[in-house]
Parts: sequence; structure tokens; C-alpha cells
Amino acid sequence: MIKSSNHAFVNQMLVGALVMICFSGSLGFSTVWMRRAISLKADRNRQLEAKLAEINRHIDETTAAIAAEQSPGALVRRNAEWRLGLVPPREPQVVRVPDDVEQRLMAKNHAELYAASDGPVVTPVVFNLGGRR
Amino acid sequence: MRAKSKGFASNYRIALVAAAILVSLAGIGARLVSLHVLQRAKFLSYIEKARDEIVVQNARRGDILDVHGSLLATSRSLVVLGVDPSAMVREDEAKWPALARLLGQPLAGLQEKFAEKNRPSAGVHGENDGNAREIDSADDEHEVHWIKLNDSVDESTYDQIKALNIRGVYGSRIYSRDYPQNQLAAHVIGYVNKEGDPVTGLERYLDFYLRGENGWLESERDGLRHELAQFRSREVAPSDGYGTVLSIDTVVQHMVEEELQKIADKYHPLKATIIVSDPRTGFLLALGNWPTFNVNDYNKASLDAQRNIAVADMMEPGSTFKIVAASAALNEGLVSPASRFDCTLESVEYKGTLRRLPREDESDHFDAPLTVAEIVAKSSNKGAAQLGMLLGEQRFYDYARAFGFGKLTGFPVGGEIPGEMAPPSKWDGLTITRMPMGQSVGVTPMQIHCAMGVIASGGVLMRPQVVKQIRDTDGQVIYQFAPAVRRRVISERTAQTMARILTGVASAEGNAIEAQIPGFEVAGKTGTAQKVINGHYSDHHHIASFVGFFPASNPQVAITVIVDDADAGTPGGTAYGHIVAAPVFKRLGEQLIQYLNIQPPVASEGSQFAMEGGLR
Repeated sequence: MIKSSNHAFVNQMLVGALVMICFSGSLGFSTVWMRRAISLKADRNRQLEAKLAEINRHIDETTAAIAAEQSPGALVRRNAEWRLGLVPPREPQVVRVPDDVEQRLMAKNHAELYAASDGPVVTPVVFNLGGRR
Repeated sequence: MRAKSKGFASNYRIALVAAAILVSLAGIGARLVSLHVLQRAKFLSYIEKARDEIVVQNARRGDILDVHGSLLATSRSLVVLGVDPSAMVREDEAKWPALARLLGQPLAGLQEKFAEKNRPSAGVHGENDGNAREIDSADDEHEVHWIKLNDSVDESTYDQIKALNIRGVYGSRIYSRDYPQNQLAAHVIGYVNKEGDPVTGLERYLDFYLRGENGWLESERDGLRHELAQFRSREVAPSDGYGTVLSIDTVVQHMVEEELQKIADKYHPLKATIIVSDPRTGFLLALGNWPTFNVNDYNKASLDAQRNIAVADMMEPGSTFKIVAASAALNEGLVSPASRFDCTLESVEYKGTLRRLPREDESDHFDAPLTVAEIVAKSSNKGAAQLGMLLGEQRFYDYARAFGFGKLTGFPVGGEIPGEMAPPSKWDGLTITRMPMGQSVGVTPMQIHCAMGVIASGGVLMRPQVVKQIRDTDGQVIYQFAPAVRRRVISERTAQTMARILTGVASAEGNAIEAQIPGFEVAGKTGTAQKVINGHYSDHHHIASFVGFFPASNPQVAITVIVDDADAGTPGGTAYGHIVAAPVFKRLGEQLIQYLNIQPPVASEGSQFAMEGGLR
């Protein structure tokens, strides 16, 4: 290729143009690739958001279902259906404890020690069968 | 001489390339000018319309919780399922029965909807019987792209429907309000309708906190209407609604509603209401009415069933109102609990004229003078009238107002009414003898409950409250409601005296031993108000009530039971408060003692507690 004539200048310009085209092409390609990557990431984020929302929706649904199953009405119904016979305690079944609970437990667990000494005296346990006294 | 090579750049080639480039550039330039300048507005509007979208992100409505965190109202997403009949394909027909089964709808009904590809345009005269349509001409039809199949498909079912992969069947999500406890505390919680508008109850009162703020985002869509997430330009996240914690206890509420149902089954009343509260704070533990309704099926409930009787209905209080005259006379120092009144008199001179005293109940006849304590315990009408006259019209009226009658209690939900209490200037000659026994005055059950609360709380009128906390989405408390004292009505000493007097009601000497709970000091008052039928007091229609609290020396729970027009089956047809309402008070009280671990005022002597399996 002749480099010293006018035509050579044109040749150089064409080569330069080709280089520029390649450069700008690669720049454009990079831009497109980058945009594509951004698009994929954004889409992935959107999918994750949707997934998160779906999980939250399922949590809400499950929470509501659990709450419904734990409602007093549902528990009473299950009690009857499964014949569990559970009833709330009634006052006749309860004997109020005037003593200090810690003292009581201590005396109960170390009965022999207290029997030999002047330890705390506790009233005996009374079991009331079936709420009758 | 060898001719010089010009390489690629021969003259004519340069000219050709240059010309081609110029023409191309000119063409591109012209097109760009056309697109970006001449037709800019047209294409821009088209693109904006086709690509731009604003997506509203719905805020989740906050939950309503009971005092222990049990859900009373929550939001969950439901799917509105529809079909685009024009997009359906024949290959999917085999899946239709499965879809019908999942939706719980007959297959024939679905097939009918799927077959509806066209629909008459607006303005076309055609017969429409709901399914079949007669079309004038094909030109007057338009293609149908959406027919609703079901508007409340839950997420799990929708997942199964999606798995069927039927082309043309798709759904859109909406937030729906769910009330897991169904009818429990229906009149307090209220409901949100299908449009998402709060209609009644706390749903409406607390809407400002519960509703949250919707978010939105600006984005673009591709040709398949899918969002191009990378073009999201502006995004405002939704702000979910706050949660609210009530003072209502679902277990106590359940006890109350069970008792109401028992009352309904046994006495077939017109209506009944029970209120349970902590008198020291004014916070309600339960409020139940009968008839009631399931808030999830509010559209099937009558307006009568939706009315919050406890605050929206007015009635004559009957003998429960006697606490006003007794408390006022004691507070003013006009009488002591031992002061005696002759309750056999037919009339008494008052301000220079003889005033006829009211009759006692049929079963009551008092030969000896009664003390103030006995007037209350035995519910003497003549005694109450004399206490009223001792106070005088204005002073009695002022005390009744101070107790909260004739004014709103401030209960936030249910459309509260103030009741009716005429000023003394409008009273006739008999009013001063009738009002102290609970006639000639209109009150709400909540007012009676609050008035008894004055005695239980040591003389102050508390505002009845039901909301304890407002919490943000992370569960952090952002506002705590404190007990609200409205005013002091009587001195603490008077309140204690009255509480002691009221324990006489639920005793062998009183008229409501049915309310007595052994080991616990029950203070209370019965009421048996005759209903006004056709302008006259009826002997057969009554409002039975019992209002009380316990333990009297350290009140922890106040209970009001009011039953309107019960069929008590008594010989005279009178539904006495001690027959209809007092046993309910007792049963509720016994359950609450166990559930709330209420200790008796004086511990019973000796021995350890033990229970054996709850067998009965």
C-alpha cells in the first residue's frame, strides 16, 4: 500500500475508519451486553421480589389458618369430635395455697431433715377427685 | 514506467463510496428528522401508552390482635380467577373437570362460561337471562376476554390451578380481610367490605392506623406485556398498616358468647348483652351481644344482628339504677348504711305535696323499716324513692349525670347513643319517686356497666376502652393507650361502703343469692325493668339484668348481664334479674376465677391445691 500519495491518505483514513468502526462496535457491543446483564439482573430481582411476596402470601394464609384452628370455638369442637373430655378447672377442684411455694417445695423434698428438726410444717396435699370434696 | 497503484482508493470508487455514504446518511437523517421532530408527539404518545406503566403496590392492612396476640382480623391475598374464552384451546378440555373440582363449581356452569366467546355490545337490544344471550347481529358483538370464575381462590388452590396449565385461565391478586375467629367479638371488630372499605367496628374506627399507604412504581412493558424491570424509574414502596392490640381476650370473649348462646337457647329473648371489664382500668375483656353474626359472612347478617346492643340500644335500667341514689345519699352524708326508712308507706310529703311511692315487687313486702344497706340488698322501690327525695331533684340529677347517664361513655365503636335523661325542669311530680328506682330514664348497657365501675374503681368514672396498643410492622409499640379517668364521682370511702353494701345483694339476705360465688365477695345489683308496651308498663315483658364485680374488697372483674324479654317460665311471667341474669354472672365469674387466677380476698385455710384431670 502506498503511503506517500493522496490516495495513501485516503487508504489510511479508511483503515482508521475501520478501526473506529471496530472500536465503536465493540463499545456498542459492550453497552448492549451490559444492558442485557442489567436487564437480567433486574428481571431476577423482580422474580425474587415476586417469590418473596408469594412466600409472604403463603405465610399470611397459614397464619390465618392456624389462628382459625386455635380459636376457642374450634378447640371446643375438636374436644367434642375427638372425645378428649377436656374441661376447665372448677373452683371446687382447687384448694388455695396460703404457704410460701419455695418453702413448701423445700420441705417436701427434705421431709426427713425437717421431721427431725423444727422445720416448717406444711399442710398435707389434698387431692380432690372429680371436683368433689 | 509502471503505473502507480491507487490501491482501493481509485477516483471512481471513492466517489461511489462517498456518494453511497452520503445518500445513506441523508436517508437516515431524513428519517430521524421525520421520527424525532415531525412525528415525535404521535410516536411518543403511542410508545408511552404501550410501554409505560404505573404499577400500584397495595399496602397490607394491619392485623387486629387480642390481648394475648391471637389474631382477630388479618389480611391475606386471594385470587380473583377468570378466563379469557378466546384464548382457550381444545387440548385443555380434559383438564376442565379438575378445574371445576378445585373451584367447587359444576362443570356445566364452567363450560357455559368457556363457550361465551362473544357478547353483545352496549346498546344492543338482546335478551339476557344471565347465561344465554340473543344477538341481533354478529356486528353488534364484541369478543370476550374476561369472565370471572371465582373471586376468592386461596393461594394453595391457585397453585393447583396453575399446575393444571389451562391456557386462558388466570387470576389477579387482591388483599382480602379474614376473621379467623368468625363471630367472636363481631360487634367490636366490625368488618371491611368487598371493596376494601371499613364499614363498622374497630375496622372503621382504627382505619387510619390499619390501612397503610399504597406504593407505586413507574416501569415499562415489552410487547408481551411483561414488565421490563430494568426500566423502573421511580419506585415508592408500600407502607403496610399498623397492627392493633386490643384489651379483648378471646377466651373470655368465647366464655361470654357461650353464655349468650345458653341464654338464647333457654330463654328465647329478643336480645341480650354481656360486658366484662377490668374496673380498675376501664379496659374491656369481652363484649358480646345476641343475636350476633359471622363477620366473614357479614353480607348474610341482618342489620339487627349487626347492631351493637351494648352501646346502641336504650332501655330503662330498673333497679340497677338504685346504686345512684344510694351512693349519692351516702356521699353527701345524708344517710349512713344503717339509716332506716319506712318502706311500707304509700305516699310521702315532698315539697309540700304528697307524692305516691312506687309499688314494691310482688314478692317483696317489708314490715319493718329497712336500712339503706337493706334497701339496696332487697331492692326496695319505696326506699330508693325516699333516698331520691332526700337528695332532691337537682342533686339526684347531677349525680346521675356524674355517673355517666345521659352522656356518651366514649366507647369508640358501635354507634353509641347517649341515652335519655331529662333535666329536672322537665320532670313531672312523680319522676323524683320513679327515677331512683330506674324508671323515666333511658340508658345503654354500657352506661350501667360504667356506673357500676365507679363503685368498683373506688369512686372514679373510667372511660371504657378496647384498644391497648398500636404496633408498627416490626411489632414495635408506637402508641400505648393508658387508662382514662373521666371524673371522680364519689369519694373512695363512699365507694368502699357501697361495695360492702352491694355484697349484701348476692347473699342469703339479699335478692340475688344466685350470683354468689362461695369464697369470693360478689358485689352487684339486680334489675328487673318492665318494658313499655303501647305506652304502658307491661307485666309480662321485662329486661332482666345483673351488674356486679368481685372480689368486692379488691375488684378485678366487672360483669354486666342484660337480657331483654326473656321467657323465664316463672308463674307470673316475670323474667327477674336474679332468675335470668344472676346465674349467668355466677357461671362467668367462676370461669374467670380460674382463667384469670383471681385470688379470693381471704385465702381459705389449710392445705395444698390439687386437681385431678378435670374430671367431672
